Amino acid sequence: MNILKKIQPLVGLATLIALAIGLWYVYQAPADFQQGGAVRILYIHVPSAKIALLSYLFLTAASILYLWKRYEGADILAEAAASVGAAFTVITLASGSIWGKPMWGTWWAWDARLTSMLVLLILYKGLMVLRHSLDDPVKGARATAILAIIGAVDLPIIHYSVVWWRTLHQPPSLATGENTAVHITGPLLPPLLILSVAFILLGLYMVTVKARQIEARRHLDALEAARMHHDE
Amino acid sequence: MFKAIYRIAWKDVAGDLRRRATLSSMLFFAISVLVVFQAAFEPDRKEALRLLPGLLWATTLFTTLVGLGRVFQAEEEDGAFEGLLLASVPRGVIFFGKWLGNLLLTLLVEFLILPLTMVLFNVDAWAHIPAILAILALGTLGLTGLGTLLAAMTRGARSRETLLALLLLPLTAPLLISGVQAVAAILATDGQVAPWLKLLVIFDVVYLAMTPWAFGWLVEE
Repeated sequence: MNILKKIQPLVGLATLIALAIGLWYVYQAPADFQQGGAVRILYIHVPSAKIALLSYLFLTAASILYLWKRYEGADILAEAAASVGAAFTVITLASGSIWGKPMWGTWWAWDARLTSMLVLLILYKGLMVLRHSLDDPVKGARATAILAIIGAVDLPIIHYSVVWWRTLHQPPSLATGENTAVHITGPLLPPLLILSVAFILLGLYMVTVKARQIEARRHLDALEAARMHHDE
Repeated sequence: MFKAIYRIAWKDVAGDLRRRATLSSMLFFAISVLVVFQAAFEPDRKEALRLLPGLLWATTLFTTLVGLGRVFQAEEEDGAFEGLLLASVPRGVIFFGKWLGNLLLTLLVEFLILPLTMVLFNVDAWAHIPAILAILALGTLGLTGLGTLLAAMTRGARSRETLLALLLLPLTAPLLISGVQAVAAILATDGQVAPWLKLLVIFDVVYLAMTPWAFGWLVEE
C-alpha cells in the first residue's frame, strides 16, 4: 500500500496545523457561565466520540470490502481502524467521566450513549482478540470481518433498546432528548468544529501509521514462514 | 430441506440425551449460578420477586455459554466438520440444523431452571410460569442463533470459552434488557409487556436472518 506511505506526511502535517488552530481557539473561548473552565473538556470529548463511531463505520466498510473482494489491504485497514477506534472510545469514556463528576455529580450513569459506548469498547476488544486467537490468519480475518458486520447491525439495536429502557422504565436521569439538548452556539462553536476536523485527521493519521505497521508485521511473518519452510 | 435441518439437530440432541454430557453440565452450572446469586444477595421474599427477572436471564445467559462451548464438539475430530459441510444442502440449512439442536437443549434446561429458581428463592409466581416460559423461549431463539454463529466463529480458537463470552455478552445487551423488562412487566401485572416483546422479536428476526448468511461466508473456502 504505497499510497499510505505517500499520504502519511501530508495527513500528519494537516493534523498538526488543525490541532494547533483548534487548541488556540479553545484557549481563547470564554468559560461557560454555569460550568466554568470545565466546559473545555467538551472540545476533547465530543470529537473523540465522533472518531470512536466513525472508526467503526470505516471498519465495517473495510470489512464488507474484504469479504466481497478479498483485498488484503481492506483487512489491514480494518485491523488498524479497530485499535484506533478502541483508543478513541477509551478517551471518550474517560473524558466523559471526568466531565460528569463535577457536572452531574457522578462518574457514570447508565444512559443510552454511555452504555452504547461501553458496549462499543467491548466490541472493539472482541474484534482485536478474535483475530489473534485463530491460528490461520485468513480465517481470523474473515471471522473478524463477519463479527464487525454483526456488531454494526447490533449497535443501533443496543442504542435504541437502552433509550427505550430508560424512557419506559424510569424518567431519563440525564437530559438526552432533543427538546432538552444543550445548544452550543456563539464563540464555543468554531473551536468545536475545527477540533472535530483535527480529530478526524488525527484518526486518519493513526490509521495510516497503524496500517503500515501491520503491513510490515505481516510481511515479516511471511518471510519468517518462508525461512522456516526453506530450513526444512 | 426441513428434513436435513431436523436430522442434523436430532443427531446432536439424541447423542446428548444418551450421554447427558451437555445437558447435565448446563443444568448443574445453572444451579451453581443460582447458589452464587443466593449467597451474594440473600434476598428475602419481596426482594426475590423483584430480582427474579434478572436472576432468570442472567442464569440463562451464563448457562447458554456452557452449551455453546459444545455445539461443535461432535464435529471436532477426524475432519467431521468438513464432512458435515460436504452434505449436499445449502450452508444455511446446516447452520439451522446446528442451531435447532442447541435451541432444543437450551429450552429444556430453561424449562427446568424456572421452577427450580422459584423453589430455591421462595418466589410465589407459579401462575405466571407459562408466560415467563414463553418470553424465555422467544429470547432464546435469537440468543442461540447468535451463539451458534459465534461458536462456529471461535471453532479452533485459543481459549475459546473466554472468547465466546467476550463476544456474546455485549451483543446480547438488547436481549437482556428487553427480556428482563418483559418478565418484570408480567410479574408486576400492570406493566407494559408489548413494547418489550416487540424488541425481542426484532432481535430474533435480525439474528435469525443474518446468521445463516454469515455462517456461509465463515466456512467458505
